[in-house]
Amino acid sequence: MPPRRELVISAADSDSDISFPDDDYDASRDKGKSKGKGRAEKKKVDKGKGKAKDSQAYTWEASYTRSWETVQEDEAGSLQTSVQELMARGRRKRLLAPAAAIRRTIIRHVILLLDLSSAMLDRDMRPTRFDLMLQYAREFILEWFDQNPLGQIGVVGMRAGLGERIGDLSGESGNPQEVLSYIKERHKLEPTGEPSLQNAIEMAKASMSHLPTHSSREIIIIFGSLTTCDPGNIHETLETCVKNKVRISVVALAAEMKICRELSDKTGGQFGVAMNEGHFKDLLFELVPPPAQRALTRTMGAPSASLSADLMMMGFPTRLPEASAPTLCVCHAELKSQGFLCPRCLAKVCDVPTDCHVCGLMIVSSPHLARSYHHLFPVKPYDAVPNLEDIPQPSDACHGCAKLFPMTTSIPIGEGVSVVGRYRCPDCRHDFCSDCDVFVHEVIHCCPGCGK
Amino acid sequence: MSHLSVVLDLPPAQWHRSARHDPPLALPDFLSHVLVFLNAHIANNAENSLAVFGAFPGTSPLLYSSADPVPARLPIDSNSYPSFVHLDHAVARRVTAVLDSLGTDRAPEPSALVGAITKALCYVNRLAISPSSAAPAEHVLPDPRLLILSVSPDLATSYIPIMNSVFSAQKLKVTIDVCQVFGPDTVFLQQAAHLTGGSYIHLERRDALLQYLIMAFLPPPPIRKVLAVPTQDKVDFRAACFCHKNIVDIGFVCSVCLSIFCQPVPVCSTCRTKFPIKTLQRLNQSRPLLPSTPRSTSPKSSPGTPAGARTAPTNGANLARSISTPNELPHSSNIGSRNSNGRSHSMGGSVTNPGPSEAPR
Ligand SMILES: [Zn+2]
Ligand SMILES: [Zn+2]
Ligand SMILES: [Zn+2]
Ligand SMILES: [Zn+2]
Ligand SMILES: [Zn+2]
Ligand SMILES: [Zn+2]
Repeated sequence: MPPRRELVISAADSDSDISFPDDDYDASRDKGKSKGKGRAEKKKVDKGKGKAKDSQAYTWEASYTRSWETVQEDEAGSLQTSVQELMARGRRKRLLAPAAAIRRTIIRHVILLLDLSSAMLDRDMRPTRFDLMLQYAREFILEWFDQNPLGQIGVVGMRAGLGERIGDLSGESGNPQEVLSYIKERHKLEPTGEPSLQNAIEMAKASMSHLPTHSSREIIIIFGSLTTCDPGNIHETLETCVKNKVRISVVALAAEMKICRELSDKTGGQFGVAMNEGHFKDLLFELVPPPAQRALTRTMGAPSASLSADLMMMGFPTRLPEASAPTLCVCHAELKSQGFLCPRCLAKVCDVPTDCHVCGLMIVSSPHLARSYHHLFPVKPYDAVPNLEDIPQPSDACHGCAKLFPMTTSIPIGEGVSVVGRYRCPDCRHDFCSDCDVFVHEVIHCCPGCGK
Repeated sequence: MSHLSVVLDLPPAQWHRSARHDPPLALPDFLSHVLVFLNAHIANNAENSLAVFGAFPGTSPLLYSSADPVPARLPIDSNSYPSFVHLDHAVARRVTAVLDSLGTDRAPEPSALVGAITKALCYVNRLAISPSSAAPAEHVLPDPRLLILSVSPDLATSYIPIMNSVFSAQKLKVTIDVCQVFGPDTVFLQQAAHLTGGSYIHLERRDALLQYLIMAFLPPPPIRKVLAVPTQDKVDFRAACFCHKNIVDIGFVCSVCLSIFCQPVPVCSTCRTKFPIKTLQRLNQSRPLLPSTPRSTSPKSSPGTPAGARTAPTNGANLARSISTPNELPHSSNIGSRNSNGRSHSMGGSVTNPGPSEAPR
């Protein structure tokens, strides 16, 4: 396994889907296509998340799929074992996670750097690299704002040897619609010419120069070309990025370029080469959850002095109902029924998060903050119950969903999977079924037995 | 068909208070209202599924699930529908059993609402997963709902778990409805209903509980758009601070992990980040101007607060309240004659303290 995958794995990240084995991970594009079938299986496992839409991502090359390499039927001809195997991997991954809370960068500022050079017209990804990039970028932006509600995204394009500002860091309101509107008009983004990484990075850096020191700066590059045409020495640009703590992540669509690799390695970002459409999406979506600061400090070699932290005063507003009588808002001076009242000066603003236009207090809705708390207080991993012999009075149903436990013992599958189908919370000592184990750790982030 | 999970909040102490409050609503009456409502849900459609969870002090058992096998020996009554009898018996029997097992000498523990809510969500998750292992993908459980009948005040320690439950409910597309049957408004459940598109009703005429339940919570969410179901009036977006579990409307937030504190602190207790001295000085200076300070004039005021910070602000607060009057508009959306006071008067700072804060205004 090449080392690049390791940067990607943030073991504490309970949001990501069950991760995939990297055994045949190879930059050669054809080999990787055998993953198609395996991905469909993965979908089955975390169906609870309701994202089955892209299960056809690989259909155009389905005939080349060597699915037997990734999914194996058991003696009974069922795929159940493989599915359980995948879940077991997810469980083991959780067990590796540090029990203590880790620091994550939560107020993020990201510049999305889109390659708009003629290389993006290549049809090796359907319909074209360019259209696929736009589609995934849209999905990425929606998902990103869901998980980083206090963050901002800007968009910079690179074509014809220039960096091109497409949209600034989205205003104050952390609103995905505004960012989506930047890349809505396809004809304005038509790819042409050569890309210039240096020009584009300089431009991205400049559009983040106004940010306060405690905010994070990231550049996410989607790069389809194999060349870059730069006016100066790009290594100097890289040095300033390292100095300014700009984290650069690259998703390459063609092949690995040394400079791209260096950009992400030196700044603590992630690097990946997409082998097919689905893998492209996976690589991009791995950049959605807030990065653990641990990863950054490891590559920089310095202990956690990476970002200067600050204490911010924030107000939690009251939302007025739709049925209330219209009053003027302070932000647009329009008559509106809905709105939020600043808790300090009681001025009415249209949308949160924002700074109060009257008293300057930062107004956020507390659920925006609460969305990231599960990163801080993860649920302890449950222990797989090896057998029923040590338990004086085994409960007959799952403590979460009340499903009855199987009476029989299944064939041992591997480490981390309980043959009696029970997973025990180390704190409250209640038993849960494997579905609830996954659901509790990946979705609800709260043990039903402990209640905290 | 639709699925309904119900969480009944059943702390004996709080129900004892409810029975003596005016208008009285005792636990047996409450249960009989609720059982009629649950029967109506089952009767609506033969495929409707139902799960009932009880939140008792320290425990949150499943009281009834429509997936349970019907027991062989039910009291035979030719005039009643067996499913109704089964439901009524299961709930009544298990509630009595748990209440008996609680004992009286136990120190009053808050009811395990979080446990009941998370179990209800696990149950919905189970329903969402199980049919599709056989059937092809894209099986979506139609309109799963979670109805919380709460009598407990907000428990600040449960802020994070409740918010986590809300976000998972959003992922499962579960609508959370809340009926606060007794006691003060709960900020957290209000947010839960708002964020999942459900209704929050604070019961004024408690003797008319059944009427509220049938009119507001029986129809599934798509139908409610057609009906004039009471929607929420104000939603209070306050949060609980991590340090004292006070509910605050202005907080101090760590930029690294977003932990909320009710006062400027030198070090984040969650992620151990040290904050610059300058920030602390600046924030401490701006603090006495906050109108939020007198709002939390509970007897249990935060111990670490500097004395000076608490004395000054009374005037500022009064000023803020008088400004607030034009914004405190009457809400047309309420059933009944709800007092249209703002939230600022409804709750003394310490919400873990159920007693005096809900006195009639
Ligand atoms: Zn406005
Ligand atoms: Zn203000
Ligand atoms: Zn379970
Ligand atoms: Zn537990
Ligand atoms: Zn506090
Ligand atoms: Zn912190």
